[in-house]
Amino acid sequence: MRGTFGRAFQQEEEQVMLRVSRRNFIAGGAAFLSLSTTGAGGGTSFAADTRLRLLWWGSQARADRTNKVSQLFQTKNAGTTVNGEFLGWTDYWPRLATQVAGRNAPDIIQMDYRYIVEYAQRGALAPLESYMPAKLQIDDFDKTQIDGGSVNGHFYGVSLGANAATTVLNVSAFEQAGVPLPTQATTWEEFARMGAEITKAGKRKGMYGIADGSVVEPLLENWLRQRGKALYTAEGKIAFDHNDASEWFEMWSKFRQAGACVPPDVQALDKNDIETNTVSLARSAAAFAHSNQFVGYQAINKDKLGLTNHPRIAADSKGGHYRKPSMFFSVSAQSKAIDQAVAYINFFIKDPEAALVLGVERGIPESAATREVIASKLDAQGKVALDYVTGLGDLAGALPPPPPAGAGEAELALRNVAEQVGFGQLSAADGGKLLAEEISRIVSRG
Amino acid sequence: MNTATHASAADIAVERHQSVRARGRLARLWASNAPGYLFLLPWLLGFFGLTLGPALVSLYLSFTDFDLIRAPQWTGAANYVRIATADPKFAAAMQVTLTYVVLSVPFKLTFALLVAIALNRGVKGLTFYRAIFYLPSLLGGSVAIAVLWRQLFAGDGLVNAALSQFGIEGPSWISHPNYSIYTLVALSVWQFGSPMIIFLAGLRQIPTDMYEAASLDGASKFRQFYKITLPLLTPVIFFNAVVQTIDAFKAFTPAFIISGGTGGPINSTLFYTLYLYQEAFGNFRMGYASALAWILVVIIAIFTAFSFLTSRYWVHYDD
Repeated sequence: MRGTFGRAFQQEEEQVMLRVSRRNFIAGGAAFLSLSTTGAGGGTSFAADTRLRLLWWGSQARADRTNKVSQLFQTKNAGTTVNGEFLGWTDYWPRLATQVAGRNAPDIIQMDYRYIVEYAQRGALAPLESYMPAKLQIDDFDKTQIDGGSVNGHFYGVSLGANAATTVLNVSAFEQAGVPLPTQATTWEEFARMGAEITKAGKRKGMYGIADGSVVEPLLENWLRQRGKALYTAEGKIAFDHNDASEWFEMWSKFRQAGACVPPDVQALDKNDIETNTVSLARSAAAFAHSNQFVGYQAINKDKLGLTNHPRIAADSKGGHYRKPSMFFSVSAQSKAIDQAVAYINFFIKDPEAALVLGVERGIPESAATREVIASKLDAQGKVALDYVTGLGDLAGALPPPPPAGAGEAELALRNVAEQVGFGQLSAADGGKLLAEEISRIVSRG
Repeated sequence: MNTATHASAADIAVERHQSVRARGRLARLWASNAPGYLFLLPWLLGFFGLTLGPALVSLYLSFTDFDLIRAPQWTGAANYVRIATADPKFAAAMQVTLTYVVLSVPFKLTFALLVAIALNRGVKGLTFYRAIFYLPSLLGGSVAIAVLWRQLFAGDGLVNAALSQFGIEGPSWISHPNYSIYTLVALSVWQFGSPMIIFLAGLRQIPTDMYEAASLDGASKFRQFYKITLPLLTPVIFFNAVVQTIDAFKAFTPAFIISGGTGGPINSTLFYTLYLYQEAFGNFRMGYASALAWILVVIIAIFTAFSFLTSRYWVHYDD
């Protein structure tokens, strides 16, 4: 009996080993394959046939739209093939960084305002100003959007659309609780009262009024700008002090005590994406996001959603919001086909057929002509997002300078300190001091 | 002189003969081993190309400021000095990782041993149960299970739904800094399958006549376990402990998925490997991350060496 078992066990072990070695073998094979493909990519550049590689982050909906535009481009530009690849936001940046480091960067890179400085300063992106205005027709772009894609006087990123920070509302939950929706005039004080009322009404199990926004960087930035401050100076230094930060944490501590916002352990479920936002988890009736994400939010929420601005700090305060390039297309400095890459980008932002396919899924198109093409043919969510971004009025101010290198780390630091205050490990005053210290330290290291 | 030449010529002839024979032996050796190496080739290529090579490069990079894009600049021991003197997050990550190792390894091994003993009592359908209990280990490292764990231990997850039956209103376990690490420990303990299988094999190797003799002498079941099972099982326990400790130090996926890559809330799930990953790919400090990686290698080596050194005092080899 024991012997039989021993044999059976041995067999099992062998099977396990076999499986492992087979996996190793497959990994090895894959390595060979990838080696051979990079070889082919580097070696074969026939004059007549150019292959463009395109990498972006986003949802399946975005992929479908992008691939359709690539096909359009290919039919109109014989001899150029576009190979697209996409990933989620979190996986995108490691992939891009390793490809750039491995001298295997895609020709066209979807770039974010947060990272464009890091990549441009390290020489990974090709400057594009020499292609303007003939091959890259962005003369009808807002000057601020062109500035947003520029680093140290060179132009690296073509804005694919404008978006703005926004407050997402679960309209049904507001109606159910009998609370009127916030308007452009709503102040933080009023907004917190609405939140507390929704929580108290308790119409839905586990749902609170608003998300705990103390961890949300664009929200803090909006609040600072209304106070005449900012996150960072043009030189990349911290542009607020510990008093501002303490007051910010103090405000949220009050909201927490009043039951206006979700408790900290619920907020900590938010991984900074659409799927885990407290509105999507049905844990709050309002939360904070970006306007171009509205399409995505409505897609996974059964309730009717709406958009509004971030609250004002006082009835007469303004300029907290800004229209920012929601994302760019950049060209890799390693690309062997920069001309064709620029042609593709120009097609992407200018061609009317492409515009109809893309809609406002990447933000509101910058070109006035393109905007006109799509305006009459948008779906309901697209229209809400378009109206929101174009109707900000005095709430919108100037575009801040691109965040300095280290801004990603600083965002994590805000989250960390805000959580320490939220969970009661630090007082609001100490939290303010710690945050100012941490961010100064991070951006000075770069 | 003539004779001398003669002798040396003979020597040379002998030597040549020997060397030809040696070469022949080598050739024969090669001929008989070549297929072996050929079959090993994928693994050898993998080992040198994908493991040893990159490891040596990372050792070099740990002395540079490599940022993934620009060419690395030699900075001497600066990265190591910073880790030792000016990096609070290193200390935080180390603390989280050590807590995880110290909690998860003993619990997991104890649990695995208990299940193995239960299964060893001649349960009907042993293969079936063995497969069932092993299943979590196969799934364990996967992203899907980490996502499932998130669902179970979230505020409105299954665990709290069960607790609410008893009138307990639990917090969101995975996103509360006081509890999040324990949900990860629980996830690790749940994947007790592979040490259990090894324990089971070890238990099966203990001769039954020892137990028979002991029970004839009137030893209680507990005493039998304490005096026979445990000592004879020590080599297996030792093996499992070393392997599981190394695994625990290297844990990454659960914390990455459950915290969304942040290591939060408040760094409570900031595993060492997760911090390393953040530095490398989030903050573009590949040189610094390489230094962190090599420190982890040294720490694991120290732990393993310590286990081997102390093993002679408690591991009982039957020879």
